[in-house]
Amino acid sequence: MTPELDRRTFLKLAGATAVITACGGAGTSTASPSFSPAAGGTVAPTPKPTGRISVYSALNQSTNDELFGAFTKATGIGTDVLPLAAAGELQTRITAEKNSPKADIFVGGSSEFHDPLGKQGLLEAYKSPGARDLKAEFKEANGLWTGWYTGIFGFISNNDRLAKELGGKKPATWDDLLDPAWKGKLILPDPIKTGGGYIFMATQIFRFNRDEAKAMDFMKKLHANIAQYIPTSPGALTLIDQGQFVGCPNWSHDILTEKGKGNPVDLTVPKDTGFEVGAVSIVKGAKNLPAAQAFVDWVLTPEAGALNVKLSNRGSTLAGVAPAPGAPTLTQVSLVSYDRQWATDNKDRILKLWQQTVGL
Amino acid sequence: MHLRVSHITKRFGSAAAVDDVSFDVPKGSFATLLGPSGCGKTTTLRMIAGFYEPDAGDIEIGGRRVNDLPAHRRGTAMVFQDYALFPHMTVYDNVAYGLRVAGRPRPERDKRVNDTLTFVGLGGMGGRWPNQLSGGQQQRVAVARALVIEPQVLLLDEPLSNLDAKLREQLRVELRILQRRLGMTFVYVTHDQDEALSLSDWIAVMNAGKVEQAGTPWEIYYHPRTAFLADFVGAVNLVPARVESVGDGSVTVSFGPHRASVRRPVDVSLSTGQEVRLCMRPESFTIAPAGASANGLALSGTIARRAFLGDTMRYWVKVDDREWIVDQPDPGATETLDGAVLLSLRPERVHVIAES
Amino acid sequence: MRSLRREPALLLALLAVIALVLVFIVYPQVQVVVAPGSGGYASFLEGGTWVTPFVHSLEVMALSTTSAVLLGFVYAYAMVYSDMRWKPFFRLIGILPLLSPPFVVAASYILLFGPRGIITYGVFGQTPIIFGLLGIWGVQTIAFFPFAYQLIADALSRSDARMEQAARNLGAGPWRVFRTVTLPLSRPGLGAAILTTAIYIVEDFGNPQLIGGQFTVLPTQAYNLISGFGEFTSAAAVSTLLLLIALALYLAKIRLDGGRSFVTISGRASSMPRPPVPAVLSWACFSGSLVLAGVILMVYGTLLVSALTVLFPINLAPTARHFTFVVTGSNGDALRNTLVFSSVAALVSAIFALFAGWLVQRGDWPGRRVLDFLLILPAAIPGIFFGIGYLTAFNQPWLDWVDRGALIILSMVFWNIPVGYQAAVAGLRQIDRSIDEAATSLGASRLRGFWDVVRPLLGGSLRVGFVTTFVRAVTTLSVVIFLFTPATTVATIRIYQLVNDLNWGGATAFTVADISMAIAALVIFAALARGRLALGMARG
Repeated sequence: MTPELDRRTFLKLAGATAVITACGGAGTSTASPSFSPAAGGTVAPTPKPTGRISVYSALNQSTNDELFGAFTKATGIGTDVLPLAAAGELQTRITAEKNSPKADIFVGGSSEFHDPLGKQGLLEAYKSPGARDLKAEFKEANGLWTGWYTGIFGFISNNDRLAKELGGKKPATWDDLLDPAWKGKLILPDPIKTGGGYIFMATQIFRFNRDEAKAMDFMKKLHANIAQYIPTSPGALTLIDQGQFVGCPNWSHDILTEKGKGNPVDLTVPKDTGFEVGAVSIVKGAKNLPAAQAFVDWVLTPEAGALNVKLSNRGSTLAGVAPAPGAPTLTQVSLVSYDRQWATDNKDRILKLWQQTVGL
Repeated sequence: MHLRVSHITKRFGSAAAVDDVSFDVPKGSFATLLGPSGCGKTTTLRMIAGFYEPDAGDIEIGGRRVNDLPAHRRGTAMVFQDYALFPHMTVYDNVAYGLRVAGRPRPERDKRVNDTLTFVGLGGMGGRWPNQLSGGQQQRVAVARALVIEPQVLLLDEPLSNLDAKLREQLRVELRILQRRLGMTFVYVTHDQDEALSLSDWIAVMNAGKVEQAGTPWEIYYHPRTAFLADFVGAVNLVPARVESVGDGSVTVSFGPHRASVRRPVDVSLSTGQEVRLCMRPESFTIAPAGASANGLALSGTIARRAFLGDTMRYWVKVDDREWIVDQPDPGATETLDGAVLLSLRPERVHVIAES
Repeated sequence: MRSLRREPALLLALLAVIALVLVFIVYPQVQVVVAPGSGGYASFLEGGTWVTPFVHSLEVMALSTTSAVLLGFVYAYAMVYSDMRWKPFFRLIGILPLLSPPFVVAASYILLFGPRGIITYGVFGQTPIIFGLLGIWGVQTIAFFPFAYQLIADALSRSDARMEQAARNLGAGPWRVFRTVTLPLSRPGLGAAILTTAIYIVEDFGNPQLIGGQFTVLPTQAYNLISGFGEFTSAAAVSTLLLLIALALYLAKIRLDGGRSFVTISGRASSMPRPPVPAVLSWACFSGSLVLAGVILMVYGTLLVSALTVLFPINLAPTARHFTFVVTGSNGDALRNTLVFSSVAALVSAIFALFAGWLVQRGDWPGRRVLDFLLILPAAIPGIFFGIGYLTAFNQPWLDWVDRGALIILSMVFWNIPVGYQAAVAGLRQIDRSIDEAATSLGASRLRGFWDVVRPLLGGSLRVGFVTTFVRAVTTLSVVIFLFTPATTVATIRIYQLVNDLNWGGATAFTVADISMAIAALVIFAALARGRLALGMARG
């Protein structure tokens, strides 16, 4: 079993490594000792919350740093961020930690990941003043979670291959994807494994006015064109970036981000699409409840909304926040009437139905 | 008694490896457990050392019951068949190990280790590694390592069996001298009867988990109580016979057409008509060409085969349908015999074994 | 048992080991296994979603184990028997796949061999669909053949050269000797190698996740139930199913081990060389190994290139910015944490495993078979559930003073115990009991004898335990993903985040840094170990 190490061979490599490891010592902290007045200059009637909060964040790493930095700057509250751009893992973690909660805040990820925690009594209800004007579909009635951003499902295509192999024709409707020209060139985030894939499928059901038979018929025909179901949504984007496949339904904000990096890809949003509501919630047993509430308040300010839009290309649930350049908005695109509660409650049944339909 | 083993039994699974064995070893004596492989001798030794737990019975060393003492606090030391030297320690460190464990100060340790190494003839070799030594040297290190801690009882488990014959004999002599000089109690395990006979003050011959007979080498060799013993210790002629009459110090036996009055063994009851066996050692005979005058019991026969063993000539002589083994000492001094011969034997050289 | 009562210190040590095993292996796993409840299991089994992944897992296990073992066998034969050139180079290549987090490597395969892969499409104009069984098979073969190679090489090298020489003397050709002497002699070792590799493969999550497409196996199903939908109970049920497969494999291995081992281990080492193999065979070995090494180098070369270019494979302009990114900010902390956690865990795990192995192998107390089983058990537990088990079991208010880094280290220690433990038991089988007994008979307690005599002699086993645990700790994501905190982030977590962030350049640069650091650490440990040995030799 011993991996026999040959010393001389390794020593040649070791020189290069020493440089890398030697430089990796210094760490940074997001904590800021300075105190800044609250954004907007409103006068708070209660004493200002202070200290630090522990944030479980499903947002992208690049968003985390700037967003929480701005929060600290605005409120003086420090953050300890546990970043994991996989909301399901954070949800599981909060469940497993219920005996001694370690998080104050769970931020990011579609509300589907927050809602079960609320039902299990693991979230602290809080109705932020900033949530007062939000549409009902953007918040939990008791304040267990609040939606602060939206993500719209769109379609990514690889420019070169789309032009060469499909005459540059992007899908205007989801039905366009049934064109045999797409055969073997499409991929889809796996509906069984990814929240995005499931939202895509639920969208189809709502598109056909909850006629599940018609929706499944669509999924079956689509299946004939799909080369692969991909286990993660970001993983699917990479494959389109590389031109391994030509197109994929996916999150439009992430598609925009990929495009912005210089990948030869483009975004379209077909008619009748679905969306997610990115939520924020306070974990029950939070060590610093006032500061956690201050975080929710801050996330629901227009300033925070605008910053998140800038950093992630997502939309804000606040009416007054402008969308990112080139990003679709809920008002612009054609949406299905997405019943989040129904989609959540019927998930197991729908997935099983789908598995039977396509024979996976 | 210095070492007392009473009624110890050890089972492995359902088989008894050692079955109700008892013996005593006086202080300063050289005791040997002798027997074929699987007879339980090593198991007995390992129970004394504390490596095995007896299922029944007691072991006392120096008057103290040691059953409940772990191996390292029994005051025994063991020399292993394959030496079991610590390969990652030098000769010095091997020998010093027991003293280091006992926390002896360094100057004392140095002195005792060097003295012991010199004593076993390895002076100046302390810096060597075990794998740089010959088999004999390794054996001496193993002995030195055990001796240096001055155990109450030194246990030796076939320590010479891995050596070649010449060296084995040489080390045998050295061991005996060493033991005499130290006056230490040795318990020695071997399957080699020559080794047992030449080394021991006292021998217990074991068979199938029991002690068949215990006594001095002389008793074991010349007055074996069982046929197994007679056969196991040295070459022997075992001849079925019948008791004709029992006298005071003698007994008259008949075998084939022959009749002889021989010494009556002590502690054994014999009755007329009883089937017995006669035990006659090959070297007890005198062999001469046919027609020579006999001295004592006389048997006429023909030579069937012979083997030159150097110090003796061994003949297989056919007498009444039976081959007898007869040794002639110093074969160079007489002519090699062939054909018809006369065997003669003094009756007191015949030993009667009551078991048939 | 009575012998333990005579030595209270030994008894205490044994009880301590048992307590640690109960607390850190049994208790956390029970948390996971009981999580679904009987109702949960009933509805899970009835639901039937597990059937397809279950069958897939078995298929993948059969295919990948076969190819990995065959490849490992050829490689091992080449290394042990042939006198091919460049052996040190091939030895290094054989370690590379062990040192890298699989989820990045699988991505490299897609780049090279995907439908628009650099090799498949760029060179050959082919557009193979490697997602699915085919891809998993290929990637796992490369990823796991080194394990098979190490195990088989170990088994082969233990067969006694004297017997092979004897067979050659009797007129048998090299092939015949191999077939009729070497192979039968090393059969128990080979069987163990096959089953151990199978266990690694059946619980592999990273490769199927990245390259499996919709071809779901049990570990990816379990993971995605959590990741995609936060469904912990169904995931725990899937994990239990996986545990059962691994247990079946383990029991089969025990049966093999229990069978007569013909591997000749005599106290005195034989210094006889192996009979030479024909030059043709050596050349065949050399070319075969070269092809394999080529594939591996290409895969890792791709990683290196993407770490050094702006946006691989679209923008190939060279840049150092990914590496700058890796060594700035908290990323450096993650690398340092990886090094510290993995080294401490490897050291503790190797020593603990050695001691536990000694207690079990040399012990005569009842119940040691149970302890033996429990010490091997973690090998059958998917890392993600080991981590969740730890979080559930030890995230308690009264344990909040425990440093999370310590918990991560403990999880790595006990998850990796089987490696060091098996190495220790194998090593102890080669050391005659009389060596221990000699120490005892010279007045050392059994514990002291273990420390003075057995431990130094088991340096090889200790090294196997240390290196393997270190390597696995450096590359594990699944165990730590539920345990890490901001202050205790490790490299694999960072890489995973970067992959999810679609920061491919950063992810590859981080992987390169991680692998390089692991290699450097291994080199240093190897040098230190050798230094100590040299010191010991000089002392005489």
